Amino acid sequence: MSPPNKRNPISEEEINLVVNGDLYKLRVQSNWILQYVLHDELGLIGTKELCSEGACGACTVIIDGRPVLSCMVLAMECDGKSIETIEGIARANHPLIEAYVQHSCMQCGYCTPGFIVTAKALLDKNPKPTEEEVKEVLAGNLCRCGTYPQHTKAVLAAANNLQRRLKI
Amino acid sequence: MSSTEMSKILELFDNIKADKYPLEKYNSIGKRGIYRLDGYEKASGVAKYTIDVQLPGMLYARFLTSPYPHAEIKSMDTSKAEALQGVRAILRYDDPELPPVADLGGHEPSSEPVLKKVAHFQGEEVGAIVAADSEEIAEHALALIEVEWEKRPFVLDAEEALLPGAPLANPESYPDGNLYSEITSIEKYGDVEKGFVEADKIIEFKFRQGLNTWIGPERPCGIFKWNGDCPEVWVKQQRPHICKRVIASWFGGIPMNKIQIHCLYQGASFGGWSQMPWNMGGHYCAAVLAKRTGRAVKWLFSRREDFYGGEMDEGVYYYKVGTKLDGTITAIKAGSVVSNQVLPFFGFVKHFHENTKIPHIYGKTEAVQVNKGPTVPTRCEQNSNCHSFTLVFNHVADALGLDPVEVALKNDGADGHDMIWLNSRKADMGFPVRDSLKECIEKGKAAIGWDDKWHLPGTKRLPNGKMHGLGFTWTHEWEDSAGSSEMAIRIERNDGTATILGCRADIGVNAETAYCQVAADELGMRIQDVHYRPQIDAGFFAMTPDSSTNMSVNGFAIRNAARLLKRKILEAATSPRGKTPLGSAPPAFPGKKPEELDIKESIIYEKANPSNRRTLAEFADYSGAMGPIGSPRGEPGSTGEQCVRNPLTAPLFDYAWQIQVGAYAGARLRLCRQAHFMEVEVDTETGGVDVVQVVTVNDVGKVINWEGCEGQQYGGAYMGVGRGRSEEVVHDPMTGVMLNGNLLNYKIPTMLDIGHINTILVETGMGYGPYGLVGIGEDVATIIPALIGPAVHNAIGKWVDGYPMTPDKVLKALGKA
Repeated sequence: MSPPNKRNPISEEEINLVVNGDLYKLRVQSNWILQYVLHDELGLIGTKELCSEGACGACTVIIDGRPVLSCMVLAMECDGKSIETIEGIARANHPLIEAYVQHSCMQCGYCTPGFIVTAKALLDKNPKPTEEEVKEVLAGNLCRCGTYPQHTKAVLAAANNLQRRLKI
Repeated sequence: MSSTEMSKILELFDNIKADKYPLEKYNSIGKRGIYRLDGYEKASGVAKYTIDVQLPGMLYARFLTSPYPHAEIKSMDTSKAEALQGVRAILRYDDPELPPVADLGGHEPSSEPVLKKVAHFQGEEVGAIVAADSEEIAEHALALIEVEWEKRPFVLDAEEALLPGAPLANPESYPDGNLYSEITSIEKYGDVEKGFVEADKIIEFKFRQGLNTWIGPERPCGIFKWNGDCPEVWVKQQRPHICKRVIASWFGGIPMNKIQIHCLYQGASFGGWSQMPWNMGGHYCAAVLAKRTGRAVKWLFSRREDFYGGEMDEGVYYYKVGTKLDGTITAIKAGSVVSNQVLPFFGFVKHFHENTKIPHIYGKTEAVQVNKGPTVPTRCEQNSNCHSFTLVFNHVADALGLDPVEVALKNDGADGHDMIWLNSRKADMGFPVRDSLKECIEKGKAAIGWDDKWHLPGTKRLPNGKMHGLGFTWTHEWEDSAGSSEMAIRIERNDGTATILGCRADIGVNAETAYCQVAADELGMRIQDVHYRPQIDAGFFAMTPDSSTNMSVNGFAIRNAARLLKRKILEAATSPRGKTPLGSAPPAFPGKKPEELDIKESIIYEKANPSNRRTLAEFADYSGAMGPIGSPRGEPGSTGEQCVRNPLTAPLFDYAWQIQVGAYAGARLRLCRQAHFMEVEVDTETGGVDVVQVVTVNDVGKVINWEGCEGQQYGGAYMGVGRGRSEEVVHDPMTGVMLNGNLLNYKIPTMLDIGHINTILVETGMGYGPYGLVGIGEDVATIIPALIGPAVHNAIGKWVDGYPMTPDKVLKALGKA
């Protein structure tokens, strides 16, 4: 993204973001959406742009514990917030990642990170979801390849793995 | 050329007989739980797609699009856009460096204007492309371009376009009328009038197919960068080899060996833009802009612009069917008028010929130009054939009060012959003689409970007040398998792992893992020792993922490469190594012949004495100083003596290629079948259709990768339900403007849109691919849309004559709208 445009003045602001536990000090324009900042400015390419209007869930991130569509949030609004992306979930070796691979939940794979982030937010709040609860939560994520049936299985398997880890 | 000569050529170039070389034992082939190669990358977010690529100093380019469905640019002022800060270059349609036409891609070499001055649909890329520091600035600049448009009359409906006095939709290409008269397609087998005389009953019906589209999750895009006079290009395309060929034709010719292609993960396009005759237009413009600015240029479509490309079967279809009272169909005569279909030769009644004993068949496809976007086969060109097949059989069953399953079995056959004839041909060609349709139907019926649940149309109301319906359809398990493939395998130094080489687009069907399974079993290697990363321009181009040909074309290439390489390894293992004028090292297996050795678990061993063994890693040797053996000028080793430099073994590498005509030339009888069942509940007050269950049964001949095949089944079911029930690109009839080019208003299915999907795979071994396999990628998504028709009919007792079966159409069929 270019520097501010003199003929079309856009204000800039410095913000602090904690992304996957790492602090970033960023200068952002007032019209930048969070998805753009994560993907293009920070290089966290797992936060995908798909519909750009809050219809598909591909850009989902977790902000202060809640799943949020990052294409619908201005970066400036996130000043001081803690954000978790798919890269952070993978880095933490969350069992969702392995469960998604084992259950072959991806085809083209473009939407896959959005599903996992949404599922992670679910498991954070509800570690033992029912199949219906998983479906209800993931219904907002679109997959054009139609991988849907595998996601429920993977999330339930990951929930079981988490339970086992906690017991250990 | 005589027909005999042609037959010989077909025989030579096509594998029209059963695979004579199956393996005695499969280790990773057909085994569940094979770790998919792309799994972790895609799950963890690190998988990189073209749209994710950022290069230092890269510019972003976006196109001007037409606000009108038919209009010509009379003049254009780009001065304000050029003055905008951050705009680095603007390429205009009247730029003196632009050639009148160039090869811009598509199936075959094309001749297209790079930037047009006349738009033939609203949203078409015309007039200008802006390269700027950001996409946002490019978009802003586009709004500053002032265009004087000369609006022209337009037409959106195919049948209206045929009326006398209809506006010409594209006078530049079709000055005499909107009908593509030179490519009207006729399919003709037997004598339909004779067939109608033999019939006990004549049935006539029609249906209208709305326009749907693919929706690639990743927007169409690409990057062009000049490294001196060498292009480096990132393509979001299914056909990287065509991209390279096309680019080589530009600017007076660029040597192929100077062009480097990157074909990263593909955010799916299901055929889509990869087949458009203009699909490299963005790259051409980016190449010019990159040259002028000295920067890499990424061009992109907006999300909305992706919606302007469509599936190719929008139109109206008419049928007249003659049948005996027992369901034996005697004749089918059909006609269709379709919009913007550039490939009408695919036809829409071919499946009756390829798949049944029906002797008399006639189909006429009239393709008409309208002012909507271009269309291509989306998921598959067999879509209209599947609709024809599904509706004809179910209309016949309905008219005669028969179970549609029985009507299917009664007509099964091929080329107008019955199953006795077809079975004898299976035997002639060396295939197992199995009744694929019957096997598929039996499994599918049991899974959905057909015998208990099926009822006459419109007769079962559920306790929840909705009407219950069951639908059934079938056709052959197609793959059209025309194509060629080059693939290679090399054994890596140091660890003896195998790398498959072959540039192709990964569209997500997990074919890459399947190739590794084939290579591993053929080489005698562990599956974890074989890897394939197809994104590299490795000098070999595998068959594109089109036409369900991943395994039926590439499968042969990789199998043959693996067999050649295995032979080469065993020959090398029994021959002197590291030969120089000063001598050579002895064979790894002195005194043995290749046939006395084998490879298992990535270990070469002597069959008669398995303890005589070397791992492939030991044999491939490690990357030492890479110097000559026993050189007198060799560096001292650690012991102070002259060392023997590694490696001793010659590079272990081989390749194979496969070329085959496939099915379009009529060289192959279709032997494998698929059958599908759907259970719906229809709300007769709202017209809403709930898809409760789908059972999808595919005879794929031989399963290589279970999860991959099943993924195409449930994934295809979801896409099919969307296309058949809710997906339609809508245009405003008054303005010609597309109204729903976004994912809020164009309704693709969510997780909740199908209750349950049961996937069943049948393995009869009757496919023409290696090990008796046949492709699956296109089938389910292409036939399931049609199945909603008979399922809804079974529920409400009325035929809905239009797809997608949106509530308004269901209510209209019920007389409520």
